[in-house]
Amino acid sequence: MEFAWPEAHQTYREEVRAALEELLPPDWRETTGRDGMGSDAQIAFSRGFCAELARRGLLLPHWPSEFGGRDASQWEQFILAEEMKLAGEPRGPQYMNVNWLGPTLMKYGTEAQKAEHLPRIAAGAVIWCQTYSEPGAGTDLAALQTRAERVGDHYVINGSKIWTSYSRKADWSFLLARTGPERKAISIFLVPMNTPGIEVVSFPGLVEDGHLNEVFFTDVRVPAENRVGEEGHAWEIILYALSFERVGIPRYRLGMAVLDQLMAKLEREGRASDPIVRARAGKIASKFQAAMLLTYVVVDEREKRAPPSVVGNTSRVGAAEAVLDLMDFIAEVSPDSLHEHNDIGQFYRGNISASIAAGTYEIQLNLIAQQALGLPRGG
Amino acid sequence: MDFQLNEDQSVLAGAVQSACQPWRDLPADHKRVNAFYAGDLQRKLKADGYLDPIAGGLSTLDAGLIVLETATLPVVVEASGSALIAPHVLPGEEIAGPIALLSGDLTKPQRNLTIARVALVDIGDDVVLLPIDQADVETVETYLGFPYGRFKVAPDLSRGRRLGAVALAALRQWSRVALTLECAGAAATAVAFTVDYVRQRMVFGRPVGSFQAVQHRIAQCHQIAQGMRWVGLYAAFTGEARDADLAAAYAQQHIHKVVFDLHQFNGGMGVTYEHKLHFWTYRLRGLQSEVGGATGAALAVADARWPVKAA
Repeated sequence: MEFAWPEAHQTYREEVRAALEELLPPDWRETTGRDGMGSDAQIAFSRGFCAELARRGLLLPHWPSEFGGRDASQWEQFILAEEMKLAGEPRGPQYMNVNWLGPTLMKYGTEAQKAEHLPRIAAGAVIWCQTYSEPGAGTDLAALQTRAERVGDHYVINGSKIWTSYSRKADWSFLLARTGPERKAISIFLVPMNTPGIEVVSFPGLVEDGHLNEVFFTDVRVPAENRVGEEGHAWEIILYALSFERVGIPRYRLGMAVLDQLMAKLEREGRASDPIVRARAGKIASKFQAAMLLTYVVVDEREKRAPPSVVGNTSRVGAAEAVLDLMDFIAEVSPDSLHEHNDIGQFYRGNISASIAAGTYEIQLNLIAQQALGLPRGG
Repeated sequence: MDFQLNEDQSVLAGAVQSACQPWRDLPADHKRVNAFYAGDLQRKLKADGYLDPIAGGLSTLDAGLIVLETATLPVVVEASGSALIAPHVLPGEEIAGPIALLSGDLTKPQRNLTIARVALVDIGDDVVLLPIDQADVETVETYLGFPYGRFKVAPDLSRGRRLGAVALAALRQWSRVALTLECAGAAATAVAFTVDYVRQRMVFGRPVGSFQAVQHRIAQCHQIAQGMRWVGLYAAFTGEARDADLAAAYAQQHIHKVVFDLHQFNGGMGVTYEHKLHFWTYRLRGLQSEVGGATGAALAVADARWPVKAA
């Protein structure tokens, strides 16, 4: 056990920062990045930006060399994620590609699927969306009703999905659909979003534009070879992908940066010397410190090739506690920020659903209780 | 970074665990007490070098692991002052502990005073190394899980040695690291104890621990205990005052939740001395106010990160 950053990792972080400095226009946060990573503008920007990251070897250094990476440490992936998040996530939705969609295909995809999709992801110019949730199946994903019926060498898909971030501009979808009557008879399909019968309808809501979409599938024909894994056996794959998603976003880094900005704002307004404000800010900072270290425990497990563990759920709970405390603090001491399109306002709005997406806060607690503590299932 | 114990650290942790093993329960004739100072264990740990790890060439992180491990016991030993704090306040000097860490009005209850041979006294602008004559001390009846005592009359601090501002800063920094690790050990053990209890204790025909309302709150306490562990060990490793402040701010602000929730789930049994929960939870209560408490630590975090500019 030791907690120092090796020199190579420090150098790598500097390299990432230098690339961001060079590649992002000076007014990027106020223009392209203004409306968050789900916006059309940021998705469009990500196609060029990620392609350039790929050219520089900074898109997926942690991937195996056979798939376009350089077998770098998991720590490098997280350094990359921290710096990108801090910069407003200019990778747009493509952070999903490199963090879990690609690794999931590496583990469970067919050779043809790997050959088709991994080079495209590694080139940094493809947008994916995840079509998981439905109006009647969010936390209880196994309740999903979208059906995929085998017809010859195709599946025909009918149903609807919701909360589908990025789907309006996505090239491909990672789709979950029911292939049998049993509760967990679910399969995964890789579906081109330009397939006839797919309709995306956006709707307004509390979280930013680009995240709230419905996707309707009407007699959508998908080749059988686009199924990932055995028919009806997607559950293991879903859990594998979710284990990455749950700690894939280093919210602690952005949270601390936003807390710094908030304190600077209060300083400008002559309110930063209030000991009540200062003590509250210090306590929130300590929660981000804990969230960061709990996340690093997960990275360390991945670095050591340990299977996904409940530590990831613990980390997510810690991060949620810190984020929610900061959101409360913003609402209390700087309510005007809730109306602004600056980093503070965007952090607040962007995290409204942070304790819901990718497995709710309560699901994380269930998993900790049952898997880490061995408490009996109940009700 | 590496979050797993290396081979040397595993050997160290295993050795301390072995030394502590006979003290995982209290002596049969002392089961109904609020606190039990294990003098025999204190002497054994001292004799085996675990209370002088830094002088013995071990790291501050190693010393932190020793504090963490001893804090899991139901009995009390004084490891924080001896193993982690004194070596930074008085580098290179050997202090014969147990050491009490005192502040404020010394005629009011002070933790570990009745077992101490020497004290480090925070007097606001300096720290005083004060030998303790137990004839000057009276025991304070308490339900907190440490031995408490107070001076019969305020001691003459001129009998002690003033150590200066650098030593004072070290005392506060390393006290925050140590109290965080004590919290982490106590909280993790209290969670484990409660988990055992709620898996067995039946209510309404089913285990208490099968209710989701109970599971969620215990899971939150588990997350908090893990958070305490890592912020404490990280601060022990870096030796940075800011990390010590963050650690204590995190640990101390969460004590109220851990103590409240775990007592709720142990019910009436939890308030009896024969049920061991109180050893850990009411040690946590004892640690809640130390070195300025969560608010003091949080203000230190703020002062370092967001200094107030002069008008």
